[in-house]
Amino acid sequence: MAAPSVNISVEAAIEHQIQEVRYDGQEIYLAPLSMSENLSKLAHKIDFYKDESEEKGKPTSEGEKDTDEEKVLAPFQPSLWPWDSVRNKLKNSLTEISVLYDVLNIVKEKHYMVTDPVSQDPPELKASLQMLAKKKSLVAAAQLLSTGAERLKRVQVEMTSNTQDNFLMELLKLRRNWRLKKVHNTILGELSYKSAGSRFWQGGTFEVLKTSDLAADGEVASRKSSLDVSIPSELEGVAYIQVEVKTVSDLMDLTSATLKMPAGLGTVSADAYWQQKLEVAQNVLFCKELFAQLAREAVQVKGTTPHMVVGNQILTNVFPGIQLSIVLCHYTGKEKKVNLAPHKLEHNHVLEHSLHQLLREVHDRNLNYSPPHPANAMLGMSKRRRLAGPRAMSRSELVEMVQSESLLEQILKQTKHAVLRIRTMHVIDQLAVSIQDPQICAHWSCLNSSLESSVRITITSYCYENCKTLLVLLIGIDTIKVVMKDGRVCTLLFENSELRDLIQWQICQHHAQSIQSLAKMQGWQVLSAIINSGHGDMEAYGTTTDVMLASPKGNVILAFHSNPVSGNKLAIKKLDPSLDAHISPAVTASKWASLAGDFQEINLNQLEGRNLVGKIDMLMARLTSS
Amino acid sequence: MEAAALAPSLKNIAPQQEYLLQGSILDTHRDVLLHRLRGLCDNAERNFEAFSDYEAVYVLRNSSTAQQSQNQHVTFRVRHALDHSDAPDHIRYLGQAELGDRSRHTLVRACLDVACSSNVRDFLTEMGFRIDHDYVVKGHFFHKGRMKVTVYKIFRLIQPNKTDPHNLEPLGQSHLVELSVVAPLGQEQIGEDMKNFAEQLKPLVLLEKFDHRKIQ
Amino acid sequence: MGVSCVFSYPVPEGRSGAQVVDILQKQVETMGGSKTGTFYVDCETYQSVMLNPPKTLHILHNSEYPASCFAILDSGATLVADTLFIALMSNLKNIYQAWKGAKIESKGNRFQLADFILKIGSVSLAGSFKGILLEVEYCPCIVASECWAMLKELLQSLIGNIAESPPSALKKKKWMKSTPQQPQCCSTWTISTTLGKLPP
Repeated sequence: MAAPSVNISVEAAIEHQIQEVRYDGQEIYLAPLSMSENLSKLAHKIDFYKDESEEKGKPTSEGEKDTDEEKVLAPFQPSLWPWDSVRNKLKNSLTEISVLYDVLNIVKEKHYMVTDPVSQDPPELKASLQMLAKKKSLVAAAQLLSTGAERLKRVQVEMTSNTQDNFLMELLKLRRNWRLKKVHNTILGELSYKSAGSRFWQGGTFEVLKTSDLAADGEVASRKSSLDVSIPSELEGVAYIQVEVKTVSDLMDLTSATLKMPAGLGTVSADAYWQQKLEVAQNVLFCKELFAQLAREAVQVKGTTPHMVVGNQILTNVFPGIQLSIVLCHYTGKEKKVNLAPHKLEHNHVLEHSLHQLLREVHDRNLNYSPPHPANAMLGMSKRRRLAGPRAMSRSELVEMVQSESLLEQILKQTKHAVLRIRTMHVIDQLAVSIQDPQICAHWSCLNSSLESSVRITITSYCYENCKTLLVLLIGIDTIKVVMKDGRVCTLLFENSELRDLIQWQICQHHAQSIQSLAKMQGWQVLSAIINSGHGDMEAYGTTTDVMLASPKGNVILAFHSNPVSGNKLAIKKLDPSLDAHISPAVTASKWASLAGDFQEINLNQLEGRNLVGKIDMLMARLTSS
Repeated sequence: MEAAALAPSLKNIAPQQEYLLQGSILDTHRDVLLHRLRGLCDNAERNFEAFSDYEAVYVLRNSSTAQQSQNQHVTFRVRHALDHSDAPDHIRYLGQAELGDRSRHTLVRACLDVACSSNVRDFLTEMGFRIDHDYVVKGHFFHKGRMKVTVYKIFRLIQPNKTDPHNLEPLGQSHLVELSVVAPLGQEQIGEDMKNFAEQLKPLVLLEKFDHRKIQ
Repeated sequence: MGVSCVFSYPVPEGRSGAQVVDILQKQVETMGGSKTGTFYVDCETYQSVMLNPPKTLHILHNSEYPASCFAILDSGATLVADTLFIALMSNLKNIYQAWKGAKIESKGNRFQLADFILKIGSVSLAGSFKGILLEVEYCPCIVASECWAMLKELLQSLIGNIAESPPSALKKKKWMKSTPQQPQCCSTWTISTTLGKLPP
């Protein structure tokens, strides 16, 4: 110690300890400890039991030192109790060490006691037994080693074969798309729609397995993925909801209500990728929920005609003779392969999609309430219900608010609309094909809903397009609203014939109107035009439209008669100028005198012209000059 | 059909209780909490549901006994949504808060929410109520099942009775976070659910039952 | 929501209220009315304790508005609220106390006759029978003076000359409308008639 003494203080580094690192990287520090806190912290770290066993050699000095320390510490701590345990331990060790010291002294002095080693008989050794025991333990050890080695080897193989597809990576991928939780040693997942608002009783718990644990060595390479899922048996297989709209004889067709299972649906192969397996199982669960819901409603809802639930099939009447059948097809691959005759499935994809959509809407409603405003309003009420009290809504308004449509009712409405739309389409197409003159043209609007669509029908005659008859059909659930050219509205029921009648009647009117516009252009005079005339013979259906025209000179009268059943007729009458003399003073012109009398029918087929309007145009042009 | 429709409106006079947990979060960290809540709550796929309410607190004192006991007064809180003018006004009556022992996880108090027509302020004044104080709360709303979570900030009105945005002054630098359920008394399961939910918001926000009497 | 009119129907001597109600109901049924459930209207009265000036508050329920509760102060101010409002009153019991003897209610059957709704109810004050009220509502119209003639025609065939002149409230407010925005009008009127017409 020749050098001048330098004071070295020994203390904890002045470095703030980190208490917490936030998500944004910010660190929260702890304030540095004060001297006394530091000391007490260090003192807590001392394990006094350890000291006792290790440092038996120099008992007295250590013990004294400790007691000194204790004395020194006492004034530091105003409240003694945190040091109580320390003091007690020290005291105990002091006592023990004193005793040990005494014993050692006694032994060393050999005044009162002598210690001698006790002689023991060497244990008898049986060579054979020993060998057996050793052998056994060696075998056990060897087994452990070999399984360990095997496992290592397998992992090695996995690692080398495809590093990407190891189990943990797969698990991470799985975790991104599915809910997982760890229960003891197994990993369980959930594939039900409960978290999305479903209240279906059936759960969808699956188990995540590691394929390498299951597979024998040889199969490792053939496995696509090192992760596999085990799906509950009731969700295995493939399912879908088959929706079919079919024409039946007037009574409900019960014979079709048998368990049908298309064999060609195909199953999910056992080694399919887990994502596909889970998706298919989830779909099975969804279909089951959907069908259960529909079946429950079918039993509860009191319709005009009862719905029928037979096995996995729901039957209900849409229109007389039209039946909707909803079938839950669940093919697990365990059924006997029934060779059904190649039954043509009229599966309606649109309605199936609507069903899925409707159930998802129900789920959505279960989960999303209308938000309360102000924020302390009661949760779970609709916006209108909240207003019911303050706005003093009447009884009927409240009842109306409560009513909601079941899934089955909604799908029934959609089906009705779909059937009606197709029927309308067929009627229009048939008429357009069968009636060449005039031309019928339908424009379907592309903007329609599942419950309403509209079509505009234009009736024109070729070459005379300036005169057209327009019709707008609004197809609803079970009625068709027709808005006619003159703004009249009429409502048709679902029967085909009503629409056919109406269009045919409109065609008759179209002819009459075209002829009237021709008359205007050629200077003819319209004597009378009756849309619904009561004249003529009785027809099976439809009404007759009549037009009478007089030529510019007034010497020719044409009478046109159009009926959907008996067709178009044209009659002509030429006036005899000699009759002029007999006109009474009430008749202002000679043409009025010739409304009645002998008309001659013209054979329209023999006339020249492309179509009816064209023929009459020709005829009128010819007669104008005559 | 009719009877079933009308029954709920007449029956729900059963006393309702509010189970409440409260906490606060600094303004700078609010968005983190909002995103966490969006992930945890039911209306996850929708945007944040914002609300902006004006609340006025009305007090009715018994005029003759005013000197003897200050306790004899009734407080009604009247709230209406500033951003939804068609929503009804609400009178809220809150009972004395019960903290309970350690085994109870939430604060419980009687709670009565009554929707009413918009002339409620005049009507209460007419009844003898006097306005005590008023403020505006703005924030966001979430729900998980029947649990309601609100994250909001209180604004003071610089001039009384004016709720336009220029007249509002934010109070403090943090948002209040409330987790509440209104349900009939004696459903202890709610407290458990709420505690579990509050656990999931740690360490962002610490939801606890606060004794309001101590704060006052 | 239409125009409604309330009349008190005298109980002749020697007949009980129930008998008269029965006769009226039979009459309505023979006219072609069909029974559509029951109705009730009740009104509880609260009085302030030691408020200066003293105030009276009526709480009214009407089965036509099953989700609502009407609170009417003696000054005429009206509040329409949820049915829960009555629970708020129990929290005010130190200041507003229920006046036990003034609970008035009317209960009976509700009939529908084309566009009219007829209600025949016996009225009781604090539990004791006081009289019979007949309410007729004409739904399609909301202007009282416009449909008085129609109401009168129906009423005269039912209750005779009592309906000769319109009720005083109808005379005073000739153009009283009860639109959905002001549903309180109708109810206020009902209560004022109910309270005014009956012997206390």
